[in-house]
Amino acid sequence: MQDRELILSIRDLDISFQTTAGSVHAIRGVDLDLYRGETVAIVGESGSGKSVSMKAVMGILDKNSTINSGRILFTYQEHGAAKTVDILQLDRKTIRHTINGRHIAMVFQDPMTSLDPTMTVGKQIMEGMVLHDRLGKQEAWKRAVSLLTMVGISDPEKRMKNYPHQLSGGMRQRVVIAIALACDPEVLICDEPTTALDVTIQAKILELIKRIQNEMKLSVIYITHDLGVVAKVADYVNVMYAGNIVERGQIDEVFYDPRHPYTWGLLSAMPDLDTNDERLYAIPGSPPNLMHEKKGDAFAPRNIYALNIDDRLMPPMFKITETHAAATWLLHENAPAVQMPEELRARIERMKEEAAK
Amino acid sequence: MTNDLATVEFLPGDFELKGAETTKLDMNFASQRFWKDAYLRFRKNKGAVFSLITILLIILLAVFGPIVSHYTYQQQNIKETNMAPRVPGLEALGIFNGDETLKTSTGSKLKNAYIVNKETGEKSDTYYWFGSDALGRDLWTRTWTGTRVSLYIAFVAVLIDMLIGMSYGLISGYFGGRVDSVLQRFAEIINSIPTLVIVTLLMLVLKPGLMTITLALMLTGWIGMSRIARAQMLKLKEQEFVLASHTLGASNIRVIFSEILPNIISQLITNTMFSIPSAIFTEAFLSFVGLGIPEPMCSLGSLISYAFKNFTTHPYQIVPPVIVLALLMLCFNMLADGLRDAFDPKMKEM
Amino acid sequence: MRRYIGKRLIISVGTLFVVILLLFTLLQFMPGSPFNDEKLTKEQRATIYEKYGLDQPIIVQFYQYVLHMAQGDFGVSYTISKNTPISQLLQSRLPISLRIGGQAVLLGALIGLILGIIAAIWHGTIWDTISTIISVIGVSVPSYVFALALAYVFGYQLSWFPLLYSADLPFKSSVLPSIALCMFTIASIARFTRSEMLEVLSSDYILLAESKGVYGPKLILRHVLRNALIPIVTVLAPLIVGLMTGSLVVEKIFSIPGIGSLLVTAIQSNDYNVIIALSFIYSAMYIGIMLVVDILYGVIDPRIRLSKEGPHD
Repeated sequence: MQDRELILSIRDLDISFQTTAGSVHAIRGVDLDLYRGETVAIVGESGSGKSVSMKAVMGILDKNSTINSGRILFTYQEHGAAKTVDILQLDRKTIRHTINGRHIAMVFQDPMTSLDPTMTVGKQIMEGMVLHDRLGKQEAWKRAVSLLTMVGISDPEKRMKNYPHQLSGGMRQRVVIAIALACDPEVLICDEPTTALDVTIQAKILELIKRIQNEMKLSVIYITHDLGVVAKVADYVNVMYAGNIVERGQIDEVFYDPRHPYTWGLLSAMPDLDTNDERLYAIPGSPPNLMHEKKGDAFAPRNIYALNIDDRLMPPMFKITETHAAATWLLHENAPAVQMPEELRARIERMKEEAAK
Repeated sequence: MTNDLATVEFLPGDFELKGAETTKLDMNFASQRFWKDAYLRFRKNKGAVFSLITILLIILLAVFGPIVSHYTYQQQNIKETNMAPRVPGLEALGIFNGDETLKTSTGSKLKNAYIVNKETGEKSDTYYWFGSDALGRDLWTRTWTGTRVSLYIAFVAVLIDMLIGMSYGLISGYFGGRVDSVLQRFAEIINSIPTLVIVTLLMLVLKPGLMTITLALMLTGWIGMSRIARAQMLKLKEQEFVLASHTLGASNIRVIFSEILPNIISQLITNTMFSIPSAIFTEAFLSFVGLGIPEPMCSLGSLISYAFKNFTTHPYQIVPPVIVLALLMLCFNMLADGLRDAFDPKMKEM
Repeated sequence: MRRYIGKRLIISVGTLFVVILLLFTLLQFMPGSPFNDEKLTKEQRATIYEKYGLDQPIIVQFYQYVLHMAQGDFGVSYTISKNTPISQLLQSRLPISLRIGGQAVLLGALIGLILGIIAAIWHGTIWDTISTIISVIGVSVPSYVFALALAYVFGYQLSWFPLLYSADLPFKSSVLPSIALCMFTIASIARFTRSEMLEVLSSDYILLAESKGVYGPKLILRHVLRNALIPIVTVLAPLIVGLMTGSLVVEKIFSIPGIGSLLVTAIQSNDYNVIIALSFIYSAMYIGIMLVVDILYGVIDPRIRLSKEGPHD
């Protein structure tokens, strides 16, 4: 793990939203690190806050949001020297001019609605280049064509003049990726990039992103609720629940040695062909309503391994290894020894055997 | 989130398992009933609430206004024509005391038609709260009687429109296919002819009167509602609860009216509220143009039309009906707006 | 695309035909003979009958009627101006109404757009509220109330503008009526622009554009407006209707010699021919505008314009 360069560091991120029904405390203290060249995945249910945290990084949060506290430190190269800024301290205009598209780019979830229906594909790709890199139209056009080729679109010159509605879902997503790569960013944030696509296309898109990542030396953050995707692409995993990160670690650590009951729940809930259980497992209950502030551990009501202290105090992150940590009181020295559910353990054993073959 | 365990105070029993029975399930969201939700949202909208109150006030005045006054709406008094408003009590403050400024070729002149004794300035014992018109009729009574008529026409026309339009749209959308095509073509043709033309032509054929105006309004107003009903029907037709109802053996009519209708109620109400000012306006417009209620009966529109003739000499005559009309239309529109936002607050969250 | 236009065209012509049919049928039921001038002698009457084909079977009469309408020959006026060809009456009046109407539309659209954009961009602030209030008032209060108010304040009390229309001051005396007429336009367009813009502003592709770094005026002009204003043509139809009805009253209040006041006078004096002729003109205008709107919509929106090609794979 030497020579790891930290480029993005989120600390104590805390965000609320004002709605007509009240204030929603969506992000309640998030820490996250991204090192150059690595792939970090953020996993969680809908409403856990994954997208919101990344929108904060991009500076595209909704107008009714309030950033209560936190820092997002981003390091990038400018004129040959390394520069670090706290994105939360910058105003929107600066973020748009210096960061968006240029250093951090985003791939969105639904390709059917992410593209402007009244602008040709080519123009949309070229827009960022013209804006940030001040390229002339000719140069931008050539570069856009090469980007289309890179993302695997055939007949790129013809496609440049097409409108989004003339392309299929998979092609549109490739275009979105091309747009993201247009100005050579260092960080790519993918917000559920394959959720809206067919299963067959999903694999292709993931491969594409991986290939591009290697070629262009990108650092990637994946937001997903699909553990299968995580297994394919990520180096590190952050498990999010109710606006907090409850477990983080290298992918092997979290998959083969999960420590947080929520992670146990997630892994158990993934059905696979070898499951002999007669019933499908689901985590009981539903995610909490973040309009009501609750003391203690947010997962406690659904946690059959909850301790009394979980009602009073929120657990801090307990270190397991250098890279693996989990926020559960079960890791405290005074806690009773609790093992993960038997079915889960059996499944993990099976997975390890498979991997060893 | 603190990592500093040293500051944390632990209690005995902290690290005991709570036990699986204590896990709570699915109790996080208070289920809000749709109507209660909408009612709360509506109440927050000050403009809409204010409009509702104003409308109720106007209706009250329309019902009781003519009763309070000792004049009737058609009673004429030739000797007391074109008198300015005079209200007992307020006249002590210097306003509404029967004075009016007349612009003549030589300048403006102050005149008071109530004065019977030129030297002493003594006024007669008559009061016209809104003044009187060119035939000596009390404007207060006439204004509120006119409001009654206008409101009556509007409500009746809109009610029938809702019924016709809704049924038309629901049937057209439900059966789809050929039935839908034909019905829609028909509606489209009627829609292509401006309301103005239809009403004008209708008025040519029939004699102007209360029934005729109501009929004219009915003939053109139903299309909007039918569109909404049809759109909703098309949307809901494919949903599972309709299929479920069919599977249970419900007949078509029953499905239309008991499954789908409740889902359209909110749109219905909103659309009704929007149609009322439109109907009031059309009636007033027709009267203004001369196609309206025949004298001596009056509506807001006919009052305005009549008072228009004296607009430059006695402007006060046109003021009450105009204000009532404007207020009614404004308030109904704001009310409808508020209702629509209350039932479907899509974009208010920002 | 061509099929789309063709279909709309056929429907429009068909509707117009139905309208003529209706008018013709109505004409048959009008009391009194078409030329109720007692001074005509029997021979003169016979000649006129022959000229207008009134002695022929109904179908032929109808055919003649359609032909006449198409050529602009609407017959003559009975009561307003005895035996004057209606087309002559129209010739002087139509341009005036069109001009004032046109002024109202342009002025209204411009102000409406600005108000709507302001309300959407500064959504939730005081500007939004002000703009919304203006819109609601403009849509609710009938144009003749505005006309009366404007006439009273600016024409009568302050005498800034002439109270009545006069051909000597064509522009100055058209100011108040245009303003009165355009209030409805302003309100409709402002409300529409605001709601469409708000919907676009919350869409995914705007989020993507922002994540690319597009900001401020460029975002609004190139991405937001371009998308928000496509459906604005759908507002044009009710707008035109509003102008039509509004013009009747406004023309009457300001004594403007346009087709609106002509219609009012015809109604009040029971001049059937004029009423029918004007009904036809209004219907034709309305149907024509709707056709133009439909075609325009197809042209502006690339999704419809290029729909022949379909998605590729």
